[in-house]
Amino acid sequence: MALLELEHITAGYDKNIILRDFNLKVERGQFVSLLGSSGCGKTTTLRLIAGFSQPNEGRIVFDGKDITHVPLHKRNFGFVFQSYALFPHMTVFDNVAFGLKMRKTPKEEMKRRVTEMLALVDLEGFEQRYPREMSGGQRQRVALARAMVIRPDLMLFDEPLSNLDAKLRVKMRVEIRRIQQELGFTAIYVTHDQEECFAISDQVAIMNRGIIEQMDSPAHIFNSPKTEFIAHFVGFENFFDLTRKDDSLVTDSGLALKVARDLPGDHFRACIRPEDVSLCQAGTEGENRLQGEILVTTFLGRNIQYNVRTAIGEFVVKAGQERVYSVGSRVSLELSANKIILIGPQA
Amino acid sequence: MRLNGLRKCMWLLLILPGAFFVTVFMLIPLFSILISTFFSESTFTLDNYTRLIRSTYFQQVFGRSVRLSLLSTLLCACLGFPCAYYISRYSRRKGLMMALAVFPMFTSPVIRSFSWMVILGRKGIVNQFLVGIGLFSRPQSLLYNEFSMTVGFVQLFLPQMILSLLGVMDSIPEDLTEAAGSLGATRFVAFLRIVFPLSVSGLVTGAVLVFTGCMTAYTTPQLLGATDTQVLSTMVYQYAMSLRDWVQASAVAMVMIVVTMLISGIFNRLSRKINPMAA
Repeated sequence: MALLELEHITAGYDKNIILRDFNLKVERGQFVSLLGSSGCGKTTTLRLIAGFSQPNEGRIVFDGKDITHVPLHKRNFGFVFQSYALFPHMTVFDNVAFGLKMRKTPKEEMKRRVTEMLALVDLEGFEQRYPREMSGGQRQRVALARAMVIRPDLMLFDEPLSNLDAKLRVKMRVEIRRIQQELGFTAIYVTHDQEECFAISDQVAIMNRGIIEQMDSPAHIFNSPKTEFIAHFVGFENFFDLTRKDDSLVTDSGLALKVARDLPGDHFRACIRPEDVSLCQAGTEGENRLQGEILVTTFLGRNIQYNVRTAIGEFVVKAGQERVYSVGSRVSLELSANKIILIGPQA
Repeated sequence: MRLNGLRKCMWLLLILPGAFFVTVFMLIPLFSILISTFFSESTFTLDNYTRLIRSTYFQQVFGRSVRLSLLSTLLCACLGFPCAYYISRYSRRKGLMMALAVFPMFTSPVIRSFSWMVILGRKGIVNQFLVGIGLFSRPQSLLYNEFSMTVGFVQLFLPQMILSLLGVMDSIPEDLTEAAGSLGATRFVAFLRIVFPLSVSGLVTGAVLVFTGCMTAYTTPQLLGATDTQVLSTMVYQYAMSLRDWVQASAVAMVMIVVTMLISGIFNRLSRKINPMAA
């Protein structure tokens, strides 16, 4: 049985409904990310789980118990805020000890656990500092320690790294993952950063307009997106339609394409990443070749991006610098069969 | 370097008009008054102060002034805190609520004092109500005593307290209370441990404003008090205008300034104890 289940949740205010008949299952010990752009409902979902707000309809089940109406302070979930939300008038020690004080933990034990936790997040010796005397990364580690020291049944992260600079973000996400694996807690992590969430999670739920479009392992989502929205999200830029005719898949322009991973159905939306298309001189023959004309070339550093006009729409291609094509030249695009992804059968 | 110098000049230019005004119209007159209280026929003397301090009448007035001001400050804090908390956290129409809170400030203290005379008078609604519900058989004297003065003070300065609390409370992020909640604190405990200590700087600003306001208010104690409930500010008036003793009036004024500064300092120190990070 799943550790946490959200069943038929509806949430929002008045006319602005953010979640409608929303469902989510999280297994024990897993690190699950909710990924999506702003306004997709991911933070609303997290706040419902935490108990900061109540759903209009539906129920939240944790460990077999209905916790929909259990008040915030009785849930024993750790929450890490984007803004850190450290208590500015308390020292690092008092911040971390706050949850233990609420639980009336004996002084000795409290001191031991706080010290242990600060060591875990690499902040020994900072006990008597105030939050404003610390850097962003240090503050976030205090917030992490404060949430974890209560031994929460579930850890909730609300874009915890988005206020940090790029380098620190990478370092901190490795830290978070390390600590999660060390302590073995279940975590739900909200972010809009695709790379971050793929790096850190066991499962990723991609949200769009209040629903989960796909929930899978990062590798699965990356390699076989289920919807066009997700394909866009994970870096597919070239989309075209394929129709089954006499055992082969044919583009709208009549070109038959070989596809390695076929699916049952007759009409498909297909896609391919810019890096997976190779360019060669016009006229060269071979399988899965599409003719086109270079419209725009953009220098990207490691490679060059070409926008190519073809019979089935404009293609974006990223190619190496061994051979540079100028604007207007005719080229042939090779779409290798095992890189073309079919997105669910179209109605 | 040059840019830096220019910037410094700009700062100077910005504070110059204000500094000029304060110096010419406040610091210099204040200083000359201070000096005048220490001299009698151009010899240095402490007589003006020792005479005051020895006078039992002054001691009474001084005690009443400080007592009523402290009491009014306390009442304003007790009434203002929940009000400001409500406006900052729960009110949907914040602008309207703030306007309502500040509204009394649009009428002059004189008119407000007269209103209290009507309300608290023998035939006023308060007495009518008290007699009506049978609590008293005859109308009580609610006017021209310390009670009516305190009522006047509280109504006069409550907006200041609410405004300074509101300014601070609005800057306390909501997620601090949420964080406290997720760590196991009930709403009440979160308020006590987080919101209250972080509001203390506003409370102190408010308290200083209310206290100094009460200490220096003149019309309210004059209109709502009586001759046997004099406070320092009415005493200054009496010395200066009725007795034409400007030097003694100045000495009383100096005592007022010192007491106000002293109590403000104590407020500040208290706040730093509760919230060590408050500026």
